Amino acid sequence: MKMRVLWLSAIACNGNTHSFLNYPYIEQFLNDFEFIYHQVIDSAYSLEDIVLNQIPCDILLIEGAISREFQRADVSVIEIIESYSKIVQKIVTVGTCATFGGIFRESDYENTSGLHFNQEKSLGNFQDILDKTVSLSGCPVHPEVLVNTLYAIKKSVNLKLDNFLRPKEFYAYTVHNGCTRNEYFEYKVDNHKFGELEGCMYYDHGCQAPYTHASCNKILWNEVNSKTRAGLPCMGCTEPKFPKQNLFETKKNMGIPEYLPVGVGKRTYLTLAGITKAFNIQRLQKKLFDD
Amino acid sequence: MIKLIEKIEGEAKLNFNFKDNKIDFVDIEFMSTRNIENILKGKSAFDALVINPRVCGICGHAHLIATVEALESCYDNLQISNKAKSLRELTLNFELIQNHFKWFYLTMMPLFGHKQEVLKATYPSQLMGKAIALFGGQYPHTSYAVVGGVVCDITEMDIIKLQHYIEQTVKFVEDNLIKMESESFSTCKSVDNILKYEGDLPDILRQIKKEELLAYGKSYGRFISFGENSYFKKGKSLKTRVNNNIFIEHAKESETATSFAKNVSYKDKYYEVGPLARAMVNKNKLILDAHRKYGDSIFSRILARVSEISQLLKHSKKLIQKLDLNEPSYIEPCIDIKQFSSSGYSAVEAARGTLIHKVELENGFIKNYEIITPTQWNLSGGTREKQGVSQKAMIGLYDIKMAELVFKTFDVCSVCTTH
Repeated sequence: MKMRVLWLSAIACNGNTHSFLNYPYIEQFLNDFEFIYHQVIDSAYSLEDIVLNQIPCDILLIEGAISREFQRADVSVIEIIESYSKIVQKIVTVGTCATFGGIFRESDYENTSGLHFNQEKSLGNFQDILDKTVSLSGCPVHPEVLVNTLYAIKKSVNLKLDNFLRPKEFYAYTVHNGCTRNEYFEYKVDNHKFGELEGCMYYDHGCQAPYTHASCNKILWNEVNSKTRAGLPCMGCTEPKFPKQNLFETKKNMGIPEYLPVGVGKRTYLTLAGITKAFNIQRLQKKLFDD
Repeated sequence: MIKLIEKIEGEAKLNFNFKDNKIDFVDIEFMSTRNIENILKGKSAFDALVINPRVCGICGHAHLIATVEALESCYDNLQISNKAKSLRELTLNFELIQNHFKWFYLTMMPLFGHKQEVLKATYPSQLMGKAIALFGGQYPHTSYAVVGGVVCDITEMDIIKLQHYIEQTVKFVEDNLIKMESESFSTCKSVDNILKYEGDLPDILRQIKKEELLAYGKSYGRFISFGENSYFKKGKSLKTRVNNNIFIEHAKESETATSFAKNVSYKDKYYEVGPLARAMVNKNKLILDAHRKYGDSIFSRILARVSEISQLLKHSKKLIQKLDLNEPSYIEPCIDIKQFSSSGYSAVEAARGTLIHKVELENGFIKNYEIITPTQWNLSGGTREKQGVSQKAMIGLYDIKMAELVFKTFDVCSVCTTH
């Protein structure tokens, strides 16, 4: 039996839609799931059918930030969510906007937020569907995170979720995990320059990888790369406060980065930094491909 | 009669007015806006590099390139290496290509009564996504182009991988889109020659002929294109007369009463932007032939967009050959942007046409930001007296389904139009 899925877009850029289209085994996916509605993929129902009726379906996917003011086909997106959330088995917030509000939390719509969260703050509405919801943050969501979560729902897997309802399978990791620049971080070699393969971007360029929960360096993007591997600081796009400000700079207090790696205290960090800096590893001071 | 047009990355309402059973006016309404320009106000300049790709999930990379070039234009004497310039151009080409595949297979073919073949859209567009991710870290939504260059360094191994993605895409074109050598397709001069071949593109073009739709979708025959690079030229074209002296100051946005989307005109006239406009300005022989025979119709518009795939693949190969890996990817600007109060603008060719960004900085913070997207040009909702490009293209049609087809040949994107 194919599972029936409704993909509903709210205040979005459709980046999650296009990220999903990058899923390499989409043929298999479409054998196992059927969209009763999707932004781009053909479906049996029109948007008007969807908003005016309650078409039977199993999973509701929500992309984009949510405001009562925002409508799809002349119906408030909140009303559509209220209608479908009653009948589906699961609700999945696809992306940081739908989960925490994201970039479009700042759009011109009134009281814009994620489904259950306004950044870190838990919201009171939709309490009755809280236990049905799985959050998949990311700007955009990695297609594998989305697809594999949907398969887990299909198989009735008991997903372990974090405090923001994100599956730990994907969000227990940090972006730092698996970054090819890790050694530069560990030994506090902070001579990163843009356009180079070497150096850690945490110290000066605002890289948020050590405290951002996501699997970007574990499952890689488009099967080939990640932002930090390429040399772009992690902007923390899976976290509630995305986007922070001054993204290319590391905010520091008395020379110490304000945001430390997950679970590391300031005192411990200073001690550790003192020791590792003492190593002075030549290999990490020069270019990777130098003789 | 109002029809909700969907599957356009959002939705729009077309209000059709009929006279003597023919459409005599269409009012276009976009019902929402996110107003990303407001979000940018007060943010530090470089944050725009992260925020702006989020204007659109399908052409976010064009917004990145437009952002970085607008910020760079605020500087005097900023140095960018040729390598960085070429890499930016390459990744932008790849984004254009992936868009054209998606548009043709997901949007266009079903409108001609064919079953939607998702894999034919996603397989080649995924290859192009990989090619962008190779340098940008991911696709969609990278910010890999920064003021002064690009963040990646590339090796010969990266180039080898990149060539494989391109060759696979070329193979897909030759096996599916048009069963001729992609290189020959990119230099083909005659429509009649194209029609002799097998493949999804000639099939659709033949169907247009057979169903006598050749006169459908004609507008003013006025084209404009601002984004210059090593392939695209800047200019405007009235039918086939090209004038390369055009100025961004004459491109103006205006608000409309009925829609959240702002209109865009050049010297108070509406112009078509996009692959057909680029080809006309570039004097591409194949498209000139199509235009001579069938004007700015759906036939020419579809052919122009799809043939751009092979042209850009070929041109990308050329760019790769010229890359000098010893050049720096990034040259640090001598002045910190925080000391800056300046303004600048940029124009790049996005998949759907000319994209313009204008920025005003005060002490490194964004005081004002203005984005003009390609779809605003094409989908401007004018008055009966002065109709927008797509409005004009729908006049005289008998049925709404055909009008929707014509409308969608402009590669409509709701999120871009309203940003």
